[in-house]
Amino acid sequence: MDVLVCVKQVPDPETKLRVAPSGKALDTDGVKFTINNTYDEAMVEEALRMKEEFGFTSVRALSVGPARAEEALRATLAMGADEAVLVETPPGMELDPLFTARLLAAAAADIPHDLVLVGRHAQDDEAGAVGSALGEYLGLPSYSFVTELTPVAASHQLKMRRYLEGGEEVFSGPFPAVLSILKGAKDPRTPTLPNILKARKKPLKKIPVKDLEAKVSVLKGGFQPTSAVTSFTLPPPRSGAKMLEFQTPEEAATKLLKVLKEEAKVL
Amino acid sequence: MAIDFELTQEQKELQELARRFARDVMAPRAAKADKLGEFPEDVYRKAWELGLMNLNVPTEFGGSGLGELDQCIITEELAYACGGMTTSISANCLALQPINLAATKEQKERLLKPFCASYNLASFALTEPSGGSDVASMKTTLKREGDEYVINGEKVFITNAPHASIYTLFATVDAARRHKGVTAIVVPRNTPGITVGKDEDKLGHRASATSSITFENARVPVANRLGEEGDGFKIAMNTLDSTRTPIGALATGIARAALDHAAKYSLQRSSFGKPIGEHQAIALKLADMAQKVTAARLLVWYSAWLADQGKPVPMESSIAKCFASDSAMEVANEAIQVFGGYGYMREYPVEKLLRDAKLTQIYEGSNEIQRLVIAKELLKRFA
Repeated sequence: MDVLVCVKQVPDPETKLRVAPSGKALDTDGVKFTINNTYDEAMVEEALRMKEEFGFTSVRALSVGPARAEEALRATLAMGADEAVLVETPPGMELDPLFTARLLAAAAADIPHDLVLVGRHAQDDEAGAVGSALGEYLGLPSYSFVTELTPVAASHQLKMRRYLEGGEEVFSGPFPAVLSILKGAKDPRTPTLPNILKARKKPLKKIPVKDLEAKVSVLKGGFQPTSAVTSFTLPPPRSGAKMLEFQTPEEAATKLLKVLKEEAKVL
Repeated sequence: MAIDFELTQEQKELQELARRFARDVMAPRAAKADKLGEFPEDVYRKAWELGLMNLNVPTEFGGSGLGELDQCIITEELAYACGGMTTSISANCLALQPINLAATKEQKERLLKPFCASYNLASFALTEPSGGSDVASMKTTLKREGDEYVINGEKVFITNAPHASIYTLFATVDAARRHKGVTAIVVPRNTPGITVGKDEDKLGHRASATSSITFENARVPVANRLGEEGDGFKIAMNTLDSTRTPIGALATGIARAALDHAAKYSLQRSSFGKPIGEHQAIALKLADMAQKVTAARLLVWYSAWLADQGKPVPMESSIAKCFASDSAMEVANEAIQVFGGYGYMREYPVEKLLRDAKLTQIYEGSNEIQRLVIAKELLKRFA
């Protein structure tokens, strides 16, 4: 069995976000990017767990993004993936979830895969659309929000488990397939220092995005984004808290009580 | 472009690993371990699991095989969360360096490999009650009897001594021969005749354990001796040459923590209608603190970079250690001043930084010794 994991590099959650001058995207200038999407880390953990438990042949990692996305792939290699492929986009190239899925599908066609895994969604745009679209473009069934999976090789079936609000669902379906993965019981492993050093020496192939143009052009939607962002704004700053001026604790309590009763009407 | 301060992608990843470990594993435990003088062994075990412990041991013997600059990058990140824990984590590098430098292949296979293969601590046993820097006057004796040495004497202020499984001991085969008698030997902790003293109650670095070790007719195979009789002084000096710069990195981590705490607090705390950071009295302090942290890091990186090029760094490593540790002390002191009364309270994080910074001026060669070395090297150029 060969597993292909698709990862995305996202801005560090602690970084301060700004809107780009175009008003249609995040300004990536000077933004610190984390090594990997948190949801992808959980997904990679599940892939590695399966490899260890069922003796899979390989776990390969694939990403679409600018040159810096190599860092996300190196981090995936450091966790334990065997090889990686980066579909490298030139600076400023616009992607949307469906175009990304077409690029991933075109690249995945040349990489052996019985299972293609994606994280439940990326923590930056939170679109969560790439997994299903990728299944469509690859002509494979896709299953979403899977927490744990067990392949039964003989019947080419997957036994899958999915946690729902207040319950748990066990279901099955055929593979090869595309799956979006939710974090399971195990925390994603932290790459150890020796594994970080080893990851430097693992094979990482870069494919210029142009090389996939012919393959992607024949897919529905073609070699361009399907949707276009018209505007991008940050949430408005939260309305300010009300400060009560007071001299004594008694006065503070009286004023607070009045506000809670008459303005907030919580009492 | 001959000078490049950009870290390699690999170094950034090592830095990120250390930063995450410091933030997620060390920092949440730092205040309590400091207050109670606890030795958080689970933290150290986890550091070993991630490969953050035996950084300077070659990979073929189970270490991480890193150069000095890489070690410094990691050490600064760890010390940002807790200086004491970082001392206990890096004590293995100090204790194992004599083996890296002077052991035969057979000794490394026998002593280093099994040690690194699981979680183990080691101690560097050099300092005696009568002095640390005056190595040639040491009193602990090694007396050869057949295939064994019989050890008698006492070592003090030994980091990790109560928890270590091996000691790299420096003792003399003949006190009259002064530094030419000093000999290095690896001593298993379970050797009969060894008594470890009480865990010392220290001002800072309270998450680290420090004790004396007494040797009474302790017998160790001659096969554990590093180099020849009389090589010990050189082994000790070469070891300290390579661990001095990382101590500067440790001090830089403490200083950076103090600066960050102070800067954040200066924006939260207001007086006379604006954040105190906008008053010049505080702003100028913060600017001075930032200069010291930046200069300390650059001196540390420069010395480590030179060492990684195989160049001798007697002066540069002393400058890095001395400047970074003095800066850590000054920056932590000013951080308390920025916090005012709150800074003096143990509920706030900055007074610990002052106590932790203090040791970096004293251990692994006091700053007085460092200054003597710097002056000696400087004057050589004019003599």
